[in-house]
Amino acid sequence: MSRAKLQGLGINLPLFPITSVGSFPKPDFLLKARAEFAKKRISRGALEKTERQATQFWIRTQEELGVDVLVDGEMYRGDMVAYFAEHLQGFEEGGLVRSYGNRYYHKPIITGEVHWEEPITLEWWKYAQGLTAKPVKGMLTGPYTVMDWSFIEYYPDRRSACLALAKEIRKEVEALIEEGAKIIQIDEPATSVRPEELPVAIEAMHVVTDGLPAYFITHICYGAFESIYPGMLDLPVDNFDLEMSNSGLDMLELFKKRRYTKDLSLGVVDVHTHVVEDEPVVEQRLRQALEVLPKEAIWVDPDCGLKTRTVEEAIAKMQSVVTAAKALRKNNDE
Amino acid sequence: MELKLCNHSSYPRIGDDAERQLLRRTLAQRDRGEKTDDAVRAAQDRMTELALAEQEEAGLDLVTDGQIRWSDPISHLAAKLSGVRINGLLRFFDTNFYFRQPVVQGKLERTEPLLLEEFKFAQEKSTRTVKAVLTGPYTLARYSIEENGGAGGFAKMLEGYTAALAAEVAALAAAGATVIQVEEPALLKYPDDFPRLEQSLTALAMSRASAQLALVLYFGDPAPIYDHLQTLPVDILGLDFTYNPSLVDRVASNGTARTLALGLVDGRNTRLEDPAAVARQLEKLAHGADLNRAYLSPSCGLEFLPRDRARQKLKHLSVIRNTFLGSPA
Repeated sequence: MSRAKLQGLGINLPLFPITSVGSFPKPDFLLKARAEFAKKRISRGALEKTERQATQFWIRTQEELGVDVLVDGEMYRGDMVAYFAEHLQGFEEGGLVRSYGNRYYHKPIITGEVHWEEPITLEWWKYAQGLTAKPVKGMLTGPYTVMDWSFIEYYPDRRSACLALAKEIRKEVEALIEEGAKIIQIDEPATSVRPEELPVAIEAMHVVTDGLPAYFITHICYGAFESIYPGMLDLPVDNFDLEMSNSGLDMLELFKKRRYTKDLSLGVVDVHTHVVEDEPVVEQRLRQALEVLPKEAIWVDPDCGLKTRTVEEAIAKMQSVVTAAKALRKNNDE
Repeated sequence: MELKLCNHSSYPRIGDDAERQLLRRTLAQRDRGEKTDDAVRAAQDRMTELALAEQEEAGLDLVTDGQIRWSDPISHLAAKLSGVRINGLLRFFDTNFYFRQPVVQGKLERTEPLLLEEFKFAQEKSTRTVKAVLTGPYTLARYSIEENGGAGGFAKMLEGYTAALAAEVAALAAAGATVIQVEEPALLKYPDDFPRLEQSLTALAMSRASAQLALVLYFGDPAPIYDHLQTLPVDILGLDFTYNPSLVDRVASNGTARTLALGLVDGRNTRLEDPAAVARQLEKLAHGADLNRAYLSPSCGLEFLPRDRARQKLKHLSVIRNTFLGSPA
């Protein structure tokens, strides 16, 4: 368990710490401001002011809900890879590519040597952490996913692109730690996509995290976990944040066969449906996990970022998560 | 030497200008209750016309409708069958694209045409031959799950999808489709299931009438099963050459009696291939395949590229062909 590590970093969390994966939906006032900015009707400064208001809203909302480890909600980001590509040297913005249904994103193109020039997320993390006494996670997209979700024109192969990115992303991690971030999440949703490349993802994560004093989480979703388990446990992180409910918690069957050895942020609500799960459903999912994992290892959150839901749906889903986790916490404390 | 050019299957249904964002805009408006389903269909029609025009402009001999109307390669077909409900999102192979998973709840039945109207529309709007494209029964079955007994197990589910798609192949052939493409990328993940695929394809082949049936494999290396593929009852074999550089040598040495669709242009990366390098691959391939009746093609659907790059890739097919035809035999 990594509770000792967290305590060593000065962080004491209750049983079943409640968190969220990263993104929250942008409130209407921010969507309007982004549209105005796109039409060049407002300045970047005016947009940033609105992004800060939206960040305040989500920090306050998470506190009111009773979330234990907060996120800034990524009000300033569009896509999780494109955002970093926009701030690292060596990328060009590609045209729109579909991700599902009627959703599209700008897939970046690596056209030169990647290079980190200055902190990317640091000011937002500092701003969010300044609004709350609870810990706020530093939130980054990992090198394997940035590589996998980009077109690669400059580097000869995927591994060399990935390792070059890892070296640069480590600089962002170091900057966050220097300013006081204790919990850093490095999202790698692409990790399970090409099982044969798991060693590359592990090698890159070592480059990013080795020797650094923080509690590291990695988020992985929507893939064939069975093809990378238990090998994925070699990723040098303390906590896996996994999409579980969308796949009927089938990962638990794998954990029964081969012991799971890290902390687990357990996704207990599906983020791609408008339906808000009843609290008993969420609680039942947690109980299923408790049959397989020690209670001290379990964190609780949604399957994935909630940015595709409405503000009301996102809050309702978080409320379900919080209520179920607290009910279980009470039972297990007794 | 002729060497024809063809599109693979999908084409971006969005672009960077306002005209090419019509479908996204209309779908969003429909979801907000501001537009009707008819408006969505009109937007799909327009985007299909644009996709066809860009393929023709690139000089292709064989085009597709770009699968503009497809929500994804799995649920677009499965959702139209009775006995299926559509569930949450799953990643489509190793892409960053997600499809909705079919949940088979009972006997699978085709109660309406799946692609017939889409094919007819495209053929009417194009001056070129339009290839009808279907995701194959094996891939549909592999990416479905069953509940409440489902179809009665994987074999029955495959049988159900096969019967439905065989009826669709017959309908497409009757409507004038001369090339019907069946995509089975899942086979490369489960090569031991080759006998199942063979049985399924045999049923489709029996329904094709005078149309040519194409089996297309992508997102993986077909070299380990290349010789087996030669035994299948299909007229055209479409192969993805981007996963294994030595596949060219395998084709050159082992040969083929089938018409080949040569996926030598990477449909998943924006980098444009060196025409001379691809021409050298074609020279090698000519030792094992009759390139007079072969197609040069992207390795997979082009929806994984931004539109400007997809368009470039299609135009690049001509550049490569010219380089090849101008090069010494």
